[in-house]
Amino acid sequence: MERTGAPEVALQFTGKAGEYFKIWIVNLCLGIVTLGIYSAWAKVRRKRYFYGSTLLDGSAFEYIGNPVAILKGRLIVVTAVAIYSLSKQVHYAIGLALFAAIVLALPWVIQRALQFNARNSTHRNIRFGFRGSKMQIFGVLAIAGLLVPVTLGFAYPFYFYMKRKVFIDNSNYGDRRFVFSATAGNYYVAALKVSLAFLGFVAGTVVTLGIGALPLYILLSSYAEATFARLAWRNTTLGAGSGEIRFECRWTTGGLFGLYFGNALGVLCTLGLLIPWAAIRTARYKLERISLQSEQGLGGFLAAVQEDVGAVGDEAGELLGFDFGL
Amino acid sequence: MSDVRALYFDGKSSHAHDVVLSAGFGADSKRVLQVRGAGLNLSWPFTQLRVSDRIGTSRRYLYFPDGSQCETDDNAGVDNLLIGEEPAAARLLHRWESGLGYAFAALAITAVVAWAFVVWGIPAIAKQVAFALPAETEKLIGGDTLSALDRFVFTPSKLPPERQESLHRLYARMTAGIDGASGYRLELRRGNRIGPNAFALPAGIIVMTDELVELSKDDREIEAVLAHEIGHLRQRHILRHVLQDSATVLLIAFTFGDLASLTSLAAAAPTLLLQARFSREFEREADDFAFGYMVRRGIPPEMFAAILQRIEEKRPRGTDAPDYLSSHPATRERIERMRGAH
Repeated sequence: MERTGAPEVALQFTGKAGEYFKIWIVNLCLGIVTLGIYSAWAKVRRKRYFYGSTLLDGSAFEYIGNPVAILKGRLIVVTAVAIYSLSKQVHYAIGLALFAAIVLALPWVIQRALQFNARNSTHRNIRFGFRGSKMQIFGVLAIAGLLVPVTLGFAYPFYFYMKRKVFIDNSNYGDRRFVFSATAGNYYVAALKVSLAFLGFVAGTVVTLGIGALPLYILLSSYAEATFARLAWRNTTLGAGSGEIRFECRWTTGGLFGLYFGNALGVLCTLGLLIPWAAIRTARYKLERISLQSEQGLGGFLAAVQEDVGAVGDEAGELLGFDFGL
Repeated sequence: MSDVRALYFDGKSSHAHDVVLSAGFGADSKRVLQVRGAGLNLSWPFTQLRVSDRIGTSRRYLYFPDGSQCETDDNAGVDNLLIGEEPAAARLLHRWESGLGYAFAALAITAVVAWAFVVWGIPAIAKQVAFALPAETEKLIGGDTLSALDRFVFTPSKLPPERQESLHRLYARMTAGIDGASGYRLELRRGNRIGPNAFALPAGIIVMTDELVELSKDDREIEAVLAHEIGHLRQRHILRHVLQDSATVLLIAFTFGDLASLTSLAAAAPTLLLQARFSREFEREADDFAFGYMVRRGIPPEMFAAILQRIEEKRPRGTDAPDYLSSHPATRERIERMRGAH
């Protein structure tokens, strides 16, 4: 458990595929035997394993989500989806009305999900937090649902940018705030590069008579992911002033391509048995290529964060565990 | 008992204190956990601490009543400190998660239970639910299916009006003798690219194509086909199909839910494979119903076998008809079953 005062510290991942396979298969088995009820506990165990295997400067992250809250959240989502899909069969007008109700409830649900995930993530016994408002989330959704279709997709990079900005600018670790400094222009440049790569993908698919479509698609999405991830991480800072922490992301197109191509091959050839292996090597690649930098040394910063007393502390346990990714 | 090296965090600041954990005795000679480090000397009775589950070699946490906590990678050391302080059940999950034998057992149980549940469990539950719901439920599902088909596939029947009328009379005579069939109705259409066929649609509608009528050599053949379709409706196959499909997808999503995108593709495949199996069983049930009807009416099973054979020979190959419209799989098997049935 060595800690350093070095100016740059990378995340470290200690998860092992063989070890996680056993955790995964026991989780899956108990999940099936209990008709899905255990899956909430399985999720917490899985997240605790991954968080507890991710080290920053000698100490690990911790996930403290309550499985009961997650189960309640899942039951609500499943019930809503079931009611919607059944009523849609009865009459399309009822389905439409319910769909509208779900859309209107979405900002609230997403806000709760982001809060739940942040408040239940800790490092060094200090919690992360998310303080974005429903209006901000509604704004991002409106860009996606209205502006993007109206502009025939031209606003999509803007939506992508705003989604990231609202998420990062409203996140905090203890009393330190995250700040996102990328501009919409940065996102349009990146989107332009990805669009050009897409043309390459189309040309390559045609030239190889469709045989190359799948690997080329993985290559294209690796390029897009690496481009946008580097852009986002390099424009994120934590804290303010001379002691602020900057992030570096070293994901490369080739690296992600090798990762995903190997994952797809392994998982398909073993009918899913290598899913845990794929999850571990994905986490290792992505985490170990993210590092934190601070001119004043990280040790000092990392040791001086105060718990954010003003945040909704004890309510976190009461939050419903809407736990889907965004 | 060796000491456990750990980091102590007070929960107010992120400052890490190097500490050593050890078991000792407090003032009232109760066993306590001692936390000692530079400028730190704390102790808590074991009854007041909470210790996180051991999950592989990931970090272990000890939570103290004042909100402070310790973090350590010495899982075995923590287990040693806790001997006699926690119920054996607390380590059950970790034991299951560490042995290769348990892993193989879990794998086998997962495969068998999942397979049995999807193949037998869900259809049985769907059947119970479908028959428990009022008969009107099925009519609510997809009431506009026929109008959609009329727009894209069918054209009005070109059979002579007298022939149409005689078919409707035949149908009315049949349903008069079948319990619960009064709400169903027969629709005649020209099938065009679908060719000779008949199917049960949602809302209690049976559609028979002109091509099928033209293909038949005896009205008793038509009666057999209609009995088969009435069988589909009577057995609530459409509702059961909807219920089974949604339940299977829901179960797979729920169980594999924590695997996210990796499996979304893999999750779709088994449901598609299972659909074929579901519909084969539904065909068999409808065949059984038709056979029962034919026995009551003294119609020889060959009548059904003969028209099935002729439909199979005439069936247009490689059409893009929706799958459930042409889901009469393994016709030869069904013909043999019919012929062997009497």
